[in-house]
Amino acid sequence: MAEQISTPNLAQLPPEMLDFTLLKTTGALAPRLGRLSIPGRKTILTPVFLGNSSRGTIPHISQDNFRKSIGLNGLYMALEDFVEKHPQKTPPIFQLDAPDPLRQFNSIPNETLVVLGARRQPPIYSPIANTNTEVGLLTSVGYKSISSDYYAAAARKLHPDIVIGLADIPFGQESVGLKRKDKMSDRTEVWTRDIIAKRDGIDKGEPRYNIFAPILPIDRDLQSWYLEHLVDDMISKISGVAIYDAYLLDDLPEELHHLPRLSFHAPASPQEILRQVSLGMDIFTIPFVSDATDAGIALDFTFPAPTTTTSPTRQTLGVDMWQESHAISVTPLSASCTCYACTKHHRAYIQHLLAAKEMLGWVLIQIHNHAVLDAFFVGIRTSIANGTFDRDVAAFEAFYEPTLPEKTGRGPRVRGYQFQAEEHGKPEKKNPKAWKKDIEEKKLKGEKVKLMAAHGQQPNRKKEVQDVIDDEALIGLVDLQGVDVVELENIKIEDDKS
Amino acid sequence: MAPVPMPSALSFELLGKCSVTKARAANLQLPHGPVPLPIFMPVATQASLKGLTPEQLEETSCRLCLNNTYHLGLKPGQATLDAIGGAHKFQSWPHNILTDSGGFQMVSLLKLAKVTEEGVRFLSPHDGSPMLLTPEHSISLQNSIGSDIIMQLDDVIATTSPDLARMTEAMERSIRWLDRCIKAHKYPERQNLFCIIQGGLDLDLRRQCTAEMVARDTPGIAIGGLSGGEEKTSYCKVVDTCTGLLPENKPRYVMGVGYPEDLVVSVALGADMFDCVWPTRTARFGNAITARGVLNLRNAVYAEDFGPIEDGCQCTCCRSQEAGGLGITRAYIYHVTAKETAGAHLLTMHNVHYQLNLMKRAREAILEDRYPAFLKEFFATLHGDKKKYPEWAVTALKGVGVDLMVD
Repeated sequence: MAEQISTPNLAQLPPEMLDFTLLKTTGALAPRLGRLSIPGRKTILTPVFLGNSSRGTIPHISQDNFRKSIGLNGLYMALEDFVEKHPQKTPPIFQLDAPDPLRQFNSIPNETLVVLGARRQPPIYSPIANTNTEVGLLTSVGYKSISSDYYAAAARKLHPDIVIGLADIPFGQESVGLKRKDKMSDRTEVWTRDIIAKRDGIDKGEPRYNIFAPILPIDRDLQSWYLEHLVDDMISKISGVAIYDAYLLDDLPEELHHLPRLSFHAPASPQEILRQVSLGMDIFTIPFVSDATDAGIALDFTFPAPTTTTSPTRQTLGVDMWQESHAISVTPLSASCTCYACTKHHRAYIQHLLAAKEMLGWVLIQIHNHAVLDAFFVGIRTSIANGTFDRDVAAFEAFYEPTLPEKTGRGPRVRGYQFQAEEHGKPEKKNPKAWKKDIEEKKLKGEKVKLMAAHGQQPNRKKEVQDVIDDEALIGLVDLQGVDVVELENIKIEDDKS
Repeated sequence: MAPVPMPSALSFELLGKCSVTKARAANLQLPHGPVPLPIFMPVATQASLKGLTPEQLEETSCRLCLNNTYHLGLKPGQATLDAIGGAHKFQSWPHNILTDSGGFQMVSLLKLAKVTEEGVRFLSPHDGSPMLLTPEHSISLQNSIGSDIIMQLDDVIATTSPDLARMTEAMERSIRWLDRCIKAHKYPERQNLFCIIQGGLDLDLRRQCTAEMVARDTPGIAIGGLSGGEEKTSYCKVVDTCTGLLPENKPRYVMGVGYPEDLVVSVALGADMFDCVWPTRTARFGNAITARGVLNLRNAVYAEDFGPIEDGCQCTCCRSQEAGGLGITRAYIYHVTAKETAGAHLLTMHNVHYQLNLMKRAREAILEDRYPAFLKEFFATLHGDKKKYPEWAVTALKGVGVDLMVD
């Protein structure tokens, strides 16, 4: 079926007003098709996913590649990626004197729709507890908190297309007490009212943003006041809802059903995306795409699943590109994929890039993985339009393994702000130095250290010489980092003995 | 030994010469397309230029890049390269590739490797097993890689070595190895073998070596063993001496040189081709090359600098969005460098573009016979105050008729 992209009559809307039209819906907890339009941006058909950005760009994707090779019409951005100088200094992005600072600072195309939230997706648990007035964040230099006022001011300055209202959610807490849940609801209501008031206070002529109100991951009766007030007082002021627990969609008041739904309930697999779509979810950020990329896994699934049933076992959802079996394969990552990586490169090269720890490996897999997801959502929309969604989901679940393949290779270096708080407590290093450990162990056992590298990365060499040697390439090649010069010098060359 | 006549897979067309200095502008036609000289060649060590796709590298105007034989021999290995049909297909690069011989990696390897007449013995970085790199094996690997320009295996020792006997031995051995490389080279009609002049900083050794190498009539000639921490003045003397003895109708490649000052001076001394990992390596540390010097954009002073990386730069990053570029600012590089790899990709594009554009401007200046003025402007922009000009550059350029101290 051809997708309908006929635009609504935007001329009748205020300049930045969002229009969401449900094109097909078959009931409360059922998949639905929609069309989201904002003047000046590309029209987005739902269900859809947004690029999940980090510091202004999709990880591994420079802005030119975003334009050339990533076909996404929307991007999710987190304020915490931009405010590490707060409160000591005004963060640089707020000092940019431009009509559209968020887009300009990060070089985002004009036609790309931008959604701004406070936290990255998924959020890293902040040990700074939220208070009645402030929300805890994790910036690249540490934990901070910002007030609702600050958030609204940031939204006004940056004017993204859509702003997600602040939600009081104690991320990472195993169990949340009843009293705390009451507080969640109370604070979220205050903050939602606050951002609506601040947005409505923006002078006529100055650009405004659209607000998505958070729906908390707690039972309906625990947020009933908030939901009632949303329906009674705020419904005309909000343009969508942000859902933190997709399985509570059942509890969403009927009056809010016409609004677009953005999921912050991170799906772990394509099957979980399908489950959320089947409950009526519209828009996603999908952290597992970049996770798979970092693990060197090229996603490999289509929706609907292929109809060939030649294989008795279920198919894997992705290909582990670290495997040496790809080393002389000149086939693309997936046979049917038309992305840049699949049309220009082959598995042998990508396997080599990973093994050599060359950054381009992750670039190509990331481009591919986004193309796979993009096609997956096109398939979902076609399937809903054709009325075959439930059947296609059942076939998909029968065809593919239920989870993504395990990670085997080491990913790129992990940065602090990408690192889950609970993992900080673990004894092992974030970025292990496998090599040094090996040497230490061997020394303890009295074994001879086996020399793995035969070129000079002597740290004390003259700088001019070092500049000529591509140290990163060499370190990447042999994991030589941290090996002492003394040890290298003491090593005997095996074939010198005879 | 009698020189072996050697077919060539390139044509060299000298377009212009500076009437004052020894600078030249030429067209070099290689199997994968034309290359303007003088040229800077970025180094895609392991068949990838630090995160850039071949298209992104193409956009910097690069048409000739390096791969390292030593690295590709280890990974993906000769069998894979043969199976896939060479490095062009392997990395989907439709333009030219130059490979070194693997010899340079031995400069810093001497403690761990042993050079004999047969070749270089060293331990495999994969499993510690002993390996032997001979001239024949190096050429065989480069034949498998299929690079447009291949380099002979040479006996490289640090130029700073005080051991004249060893230096002489290395120079003479490099000549013998060239003969073995010529003999081993399977595809002279589609891959151009360059000899490498050795001899350390001893000008007599360099002269001897140059005469022997020139007699062997390879399609191009490299000056090797430099850029190893020697005095810049000695470096310039070696380049000047060698180019003075080289035939006019062949490209001259000075290996491992890449700082902008070194490039413009070396061009004045008559060199045509250069390579260095520095521009791409330094990009990953947040350093941007500009006409006014290297800026470390990780410095907080750039956090709120909303200008382009370099004013007027025409690279994809610096060009405004209205002009079809990205309009990347110094503030954004500060924001993203060392936090997302895309920051390194952006600066790598800029730095490679800077180097290529510098050589393009030098070429235009040579063709219009205003290279001395170009040099003066270059140093004035870079240093401002004449007192800051490096003495070695002033001396070297004086030697070829340009006095930087006189406007």
